[in-house]
Amino acid sequence: MPSPVQCHDVLEAIEVHGLSPLPETVREHLSDCPECQGIVADFECILSTAHQLPAEVEPPARVWLSLRAQLVAEGVIREDAIPASIPVENPAAHASWWHGFSALLHGRAVAIASVGVLLFAAAVFEVRHNSVLPVHPVTTSPVVAEKSNPTQFPIQPPAPAQPQPTAAQVLRDSGATLRTQERELHTAQTAGTLPTSPVDDSLQQDLVTLDAFIADCEQHVQANPEDQLARQYLAAAYQQKAQLLAEMLDRGRSVN
Amino acid sequence: MLPVLGVGVLLWPALPANAAPRHFEKHFTVQGKPVVVIQNIGNGRIEVKSWRNAEVVLTGTQASSKISVDSEQVGDRIDVSSNLIDPTAQPTEMEANFQLTVPEETELQLKTQTGLIYVEQVIGDMTLESVAGDVHLKAVNGYIIVTTKSGTLVCTSCAGKLNFNSISGSAQLLQPALSNVNLFTTSGNILFDGDFVRTGLYTMNSGKGVVEVRFSSNDSFDLNARTATGTVDNQAADFIKPDSHGIKHLANKYTKGFFGTIGQGLAKVELSSYSGTIRLLRRD
Repeated sequence: MPSPVQCHDVLEAIEVHGLSPLPETVREHLSDCPECQGIVADFECILSTAHQLPAEVEPPARVWLSLRAQLVAEGVIREDAIPASIPVENPAAHASWWHGFSALLHGRAVAIASVGVLLFAAAVFEVRHNSVLPVHPVTTSPVVAEKSNPTQFPIQPPAPAQPQPTAAQVLRDSGATLRTQERELHTAQTAGTLPTSPVDDSLQQDLVTLDAFIADCEQHVQANPEDQLARQYLAAAYQQKAQLLAEMLDRGRSVN
Repeated sequence: MLPVLGVGVLLWPALPANAAPRHFEKHFTVQGKPVVVIQNIGNGRIEVKSWRNAEVVLTGTQASSKISVDSEQVGDRIDVSSNLIDPTAQPTEMEANFQLTVPEETELQLKTQTGLIYVEQVIGDMTLESVAGDVHLKAVNGYIIVTTKSGTLVCTSCAGKLNFNSISGSAQLLQPALSNVNLFTTSGNILFDGDFVRTGLYTMNSGKGVVEVRFSSNDSFDLNARTATGTVDNQAADFIKPDSHGIKHLANKYTKGFFGTIGQGLAKVELSSYSGTIRLLRRD
């Protein structure tokens, strides 16, 4: 004879307590109810599969940097709002998008997962629709992120909305972050004792070229913040500089 | 089911550290359209030509035994890489040059630091990456992606789609039959000398350099040329009609440039420069 606990009570108990440990009364019901046994088995299967997935899927910060800069250049990001259809913010990390940039250049141990790639691809498609300057694909190391607590589901609740920076702020912050990284790179190079190669010299020259162009663009954009073409060139130069600095750091680790 | 040709790993024998450059050669039999990947960590030239045989032949030289040149074949995929053995190697000791002979239909993914990448008469998608080396392509056809930092691209009689990105490298497209072109360089120059494929899309942007387009009177394209602080040198004004396709181009107080149509306007050409020069002229 079935226990007084009904099937809907089992679902409520699972919702409240999770799969284990279930209350004694619920376990008694389960022993007599094949339907609830099937439901619990399904939940266990889902949990087991979920544990095998990366718990956090987060594209590299450089992806967000490039995307954000391009969106700014295109005028997609406005003073007060970001269109909800464009996934500008990383939903898993609502902290300022450029905060991760430093870590990127030093380690790049962040994940590219299918969700992130799809979000990026969708946004790029959206941006390119009206784009003049190209959004260049960012090559990154597809390193899988460390798993977080395996008992947690991979879906994180949305964080509260944060005030969005203005387009001009985003560009300024991009420039400032890149300048910081460049200074750190120079410090590391100064401390190094290994000889440089013609390739290093060439990269250094490219950095000088980019810096001069960026300085010119920044000055112009500051004076003419609505000049969309200039903003596009500035954003593109930032993208190139981010990739260049990453390559220089990579070479510092692997070749020299 | 395609037979698996086998997996082989070749490690060229170590050389005395200061020996003269050593020649290597390897043959790979393939059955379909091969995919060849070369990753050169050091400097050196990569040259690719095609033939009608179902075989990939790799020859080349390595400058010292402080690097190794390794290769692997899995089915129709062939991977070749130079690897650093001795971290004290000087740049000149890390040089490796490659010559590839491949079936006409081959996909390529080539990366080197300095030294020319040269590809001739190959049909297939290709990704070519160089830091300071130039990239010369002749009679290639496919989806072509070229990335350099300061290397220049010269593309002669290329067909398909082309995407080029560089910081200070220039791009020259000579007698192209490309239907989709996307060029961006921060300080290099861009030259497009050839015909525009009807329904083709062409975007050419240079931050500080010259963007020069030489077209023929038979061409048919809509043109949008813009610069922020640079100059526009339109030497073909007589051939450019106002755009009559219904898209209203609004004047922008920040940029100067022009819109117009040549012929029926079947292709679309967008040119821009931040502070450089946009030049438009007729070949004939």
